[in-house]
Amino acid sequence: MKSVISVEGLKKQFDNEEALKDISFEVGKGEIFGLLGPSGSGKTTTIKILTGELEPSGGLVEVLGYQHGAFKKSEYVRSLGILSDNSSLYERLTVKDNLALFRKLYNTEQSKVDQVLKDVGLEKHINKRVKDLSKGMKQRILLCKAVLHEPAVLFLDEPTSALDPVTTDSIHDMLLKIKARGTTIMLTTHNMDEATVLCDTVAFLNEGIIIDNGSPDALRQSYKTNDMHITYDDGRTKQISLSPENKVQLEAALFDTNVVNMKSDYPTLGEVFKKVTGKELV
Amino acid sequence: MNTGRIMAIFEKDLKEFTRNMMLFTTILLPIFLAFMYSRMGDGEAALPAMLVYLIVGVAFSAILCSGIMTMMAEENEKNTLRGLIQSPASMMDILIGKSLVVTLMTAASLTAAFLLMNAALEWSVASIGALLLLALFFLNVGIAVGLTVDSVATTSVYLLPIMFIFGFTPMVEIVVPEPDHFVRQITDYLPLYQNIAIHDGETVVPLLILAAWTLASFLYVTWAFRKRMSDEAK
Ligand SMILES: Nc1ncnc2c1ncn2[C@@H]1O[C@H](COP(=O)(O)OP(=O)(O)OP(=O)(O)O)[C@@H](O)[C@H]1O
Ligand SMILES: [Mg+2]
Repeated sequence: MKSVISVEGLKKQFDNEEALKDISFEVGKGEIFGLLGPSGSGKTTTIKILTGELEPSGGLVEVLGYQHGAFKKSEYVRSLGILSDNSSLYERLTVKDNLALFRKLYNTEQSKVDQVLKDVGLEKHINKRVKDLSKGMKQRILLCKAVLHEPAVLFLDEPTSALDPVTTDSIHDMLLKIKARGTTIMLTTHNMDEATVLCDTVAFLNEGIIIDNGSPDALRQSYKTNDMHITYDDGRTKQISLSPENKVQLEAALFDTNVVNMKSDYPTLGEVFKKVTGKELV
Repeated sequence: MNTGRIMAIFEKDLKEFTRNMMLFTTILLPIFLAFMYSRMGDGEAALPAMLVYLIVGVAFSAILCSGIMTMMAEENEKNTLRGLIQSPASMMDILIGKSLVVTLMTAASLTAAFLLMNAALEWSVASIGALLLLALFFLNVGIAVGLTVDSVATTSVYLLPIMFIFGFTPMVEIVVPEPDHFVRQITDYLPLYQNIAIHDGETVVPLLILAAWTLASFLYVTWAFRKRMSDEAK
């Protein structure tokens, strides 16, 4: 199957720095792809190139069969939904007026607006002015704005950063619903749990280079070791390899009352990231 | 360009304009001036053309020009312009929609002002044409600055000189009373004075000077538009 997003050898040079050095990845139809990386690694730059806001300095970029030279075309613009890291609404206007503007610009029906508002649970707030909404509500309205025309591809730059866990969950639910309709989603995040829950594929971005990619489970599998980590009540730690010759030692630890924790080394996505880059992802 | 999208922007900006106190109060300015002037003198004599055109200048600079400039700057500052550009709306749709709003607001304010004052002016074809040229001049300048600045705060850097030089031009007669002073010689070439001259019966020369100003404003707005679009593509 042909990919919806295909990026090969993408480079981006700003005046005095090379923000993207060599980026390649593919995203299939209906997938959620997560670009993970620390601050300054080039996540926003990558998204801006794919949405036509920035020009690439080199490499091949193709979305929905359009090459980057055609990213300004109205048919292309129309098939995208974008939630950027600084998207904002008209604060003086009501939720209804904000969404009405975009409904008319995209020439879609009112029923679509009602539906997305219901999906994010904000149908009761349509007559409130945006300035009176909480941060989490605004973010959900921005998401409504991004999807009310049923885009084929949805780009989300840190959709849940700085939001409370309940709002984050409701946004995750919404994204899974959108994915179920066949929309392809590309998002960036610092949040490894988010990536694990949502993404079919993730790519680790560090200093403008993709270091590794794959499904969250496959990545965790490939970086797991055969060690058992044991922690004692006096703070000592010990690693024992899970092999038959260590059977006695392992059994002893199991019944040792001084042991407070035994953990196999199946790393979380965050730990995998730290292993490959030596950096914490916050 | 697309009528549906222009109207969507128009409706949105009409609401924004009326809910933005800073913009909405500008409508009252010409009306207030008209009210003041109509109270001066014996109340019977018609207002001199100079004062009528001062009110026009105030309306064009403080509502038409400043309104569109501020609306553009605010969209830039709050990052909402990006959202519009990433929608099917083109920059042209956006500019036309906004221009319609400020034009409507200016027309409403001037109509009210004219009703209030005793402006027994006869509107010849030439003076109406000149008024339209003047309006285009102010609109173009407002759009051009709006395309250039990225915050509402920076608009005042442009707006104050525009208002004092082009909007309140007849005030110079109070500041510099000697008609032969070099400042007065220069200000005679400013757009608003062409409208007054046309009103007083001259036509060809002032109309040409005014047309030159309007043409210059078109060149300015085209330059600002091109620059903006090429910055977009970086
Ligand atoms: N317009 C620009 N001009 C010059 N340098 C830029 C520009 N935009 C981004 N950069 C640089 O490119 C690098 C990558 O920035 P980018 O915004 O893509 O990072 P990010 O991964 O999105 O970070 P964050 O998680 O903080 O949002 C940074 O070093 C940044 O300074
Ligand atoms: Mg970013």
